[in-house]
Amino acid sequence: MENLTIEETKYTPSINLNVERGTVDIIGKSYPENTFEFYEPVMQWLEDYFNGNAQKKTVLNFEIIYFNSSSSKLLFDLFDLLEEMREENLIEINWIYDSENESALEAGEDFKEDFEDLNIHLVSK
Amino acid sequence: MIAHENKLISEIEALKNEFEKTTDKLIKDVRRQDKIMVRSDKRQQQEYDELQTKFEEVATLQKEIEDTQKEVVFTMGAIGESRSKETGNHVKRVAEYSKILALHYGLDDKESEMLKQASPMHDIGKVAIPDAILNKPGRFDSTEREIMDTHAQLGYDMLKMSDRPLLKTAATVAYEHHEKWDGSGYPNQLKGEEIHIYGRITALADVFDALGSDRCYKKAWDDEKIFNLFKEEKGKHFDPKLIDIFFDNLDQFLKVRNSLKDIY
Repeated sequence: MENLTIEETKYTPSINLNVERGTVDIIGKSYPENTFEFYEPVMQWLEDYFNGNAQKKTVLNFEIIYFNSSSSKLLFDLFDLLEEMREENLIEINWIYDSENESALEAGEDFKEDFEDLNIHLVSK
Repeated sequence: MIAHENKLISEIEALKNEFEKTTDKLIKDVRRQDKIMVRSDKRQQQEYDELQTKFEEVATLQKEIEDTQKEVVFTMGAIGESRSKETGNHVKRVAEYSKILALHYGLDDKESEMLKQASPMHDIGKVAIPDAILNKPGRFDSTEREIMDTHAQLGYDMLKMSDRPLLKTAATVAYEHHEKWDGSGYPNQLKGEEIHIYGRITALADVFDALGSDRCYKKAWDDEKIFNLFKEEKGKHFDPKLIDIFFDNLDQFLKVRNSLKDIY
């Protein structure tokens, strides 16, 4: 299984999905024109990864400074997937936000509230 | 007791479970959507407020910059004026005449307004001309004339370093307002449309006003004499198209002259 790297653009975050290290890094802004199309390879990668390629422990770092509402929806979908995988995998999620970025903090709190069984850390920078 | 329960019941129960699962998911999804919407509305409001504030700040700064530029340019024009024999409202009238000419020539409103603001600086180079020459009553000898004529180059040199459109315009005006359509002007003996339109316009505006004003060394020419000169100099000193514009819109020029009379 290949790693997946997508360079940051004006509207989309940098994405680094690493099989050997078991890490997922999504950093930057997220307001693509077609959010679901943009994240389709990411969702596909995660499914493949958790389908027999996962490391013992998987760490996901999200540092999203700006996002549109369809990106929020997509993240909920992504967390749904993680929740399904939770029983058979050790998953750690870091939601990293700037202390002055209220929206980012609130989004993190929403995820924590909705996904009580996931191990989500809110990390203030 | 029934030994064999109707198979239908278990099928319906399975359906019921499935239905419950689906409705639970639907409810969860709708709640989520609502939450996303509320968050997004809140964020949009904040962003819009922030944008409004920033726009206002930018507009204020923009105005501040423009006002400062105008003030600097006007003050420099006044300095130039104070060093020359031209008095009173000369630079203000030249500014207005220049704008009228520019608009009729076909420059857009913004550019015409910029030329209006820049044209008062046409004689700024005179600040570097020695008093003895500048204030000499009577005619200049050839050396004095030569020194006097350097004011165009001097004005250009003072302003040419700027990247500001207004000051660049002023630099062009200072440099080329003594060029003549037939190539007999100074400092570069440019000809026809080689002379920037700003230079051609200010040349006409400046001469029209100078001839029509009383000076300590001469009386104002009467209009007929000025108009005859302009007709004669069409295509010689002045751009013929600008002379046509001048005569076609004479009432506008006279109105400006009337409203900005010199008071002694």
